[in-house]
Amino acid sequence: MADRSDPARTLGGPGVLLVVVYGVLALAATGRSVLQISEYFERAPVSYVLSAVAALVYVLATWCLARGGRWVRVGLVACAVELVGVVAVGIASYVEPSAFPDKTVWSHFGEGYGFVPLVLPVLGLLWFRRVERAATAAAATPHVPR
Amino acid sequence: MEPLTIAVIGLSVLLLVVAVGYAARDRLIDDWLLAVAGLLELSLLVTLVVGLSDLGHIGDSTERATFIAYLVSLPVIPVGTAFLAIKEKSRWAMGSIAVGAFAVAVMTARLLQIWTSHG
Repeated sequence: MADRSDPARTLGGPGVLLVVVYGVLALAATGRSVLQISEYFERAPVSYVLSAVAALVYVLATWCLARGGRWVRVGLVACAVELVGVVAVGIASYVEPSAFPDKTVWSHFGEGYGFVPLVLPVLGLLWFRRVERAATAAAATPHVPR
Repeated sequence: MEPLTIAVIGLSVLLLVVAVGYAARDRLIDDWLLAVAGLLELSLLVTLVVGLSDLGHIGDSTERATFIAYLVSLPVIPVGTAFLAIKEKSRWAMGSIAVGAFAVAVMTARLLQIWTSHG
């Protein structure tokens, strides 16, 4: 696989921590989403669809972080979506609380998850950008010690 | 259920401490650390079985669903973090184990909280 020899592989150094934190959040969001949709979807359909979307994006971001290589671009988009999501839903949940009768990962800026959903996409974006830069630098130099 | 979850929390804290110790001495994952992680995994699987067999204990259906979600999610963590730690050949590998162990401790505490608030 080309990805494995790629200098842009993300799974190295501090990146491994991001994979774990993202993984745990993806797990928590997916678990919560599955039970919201299967157990009591009619209670707050909008919140629960949002939860499901958020969960999918977290799973995608975790995958991108773990694989690196050509997934870095996808990861950047995933993190950007998360950041926009947490800010937009965060604002909306304060302005229009009645639209969110039940909590989602993103409501109140991720308060229910210790604001981790707010911080994580920023870290993700920074990390992916760093990896992308390293890849560009490596491509410019013929001999990369690896 | 209570003694079991307390044992899980104890084991995850132990794993956390061992991982931090390994990181401080710049050691990579070895059989001893894997044994502790394996023990934690085993205790989580036992918790899963015991928890699922006594679901009637939790009356409220929403709480019960949350309880199941935690039960099922927990055993994934030590396996995932150990896998990442084996692949990672630097000090950060222990970071993976430590963060995972911390997450297990927190989630198990939530599990215990839900359990004791019922019945």
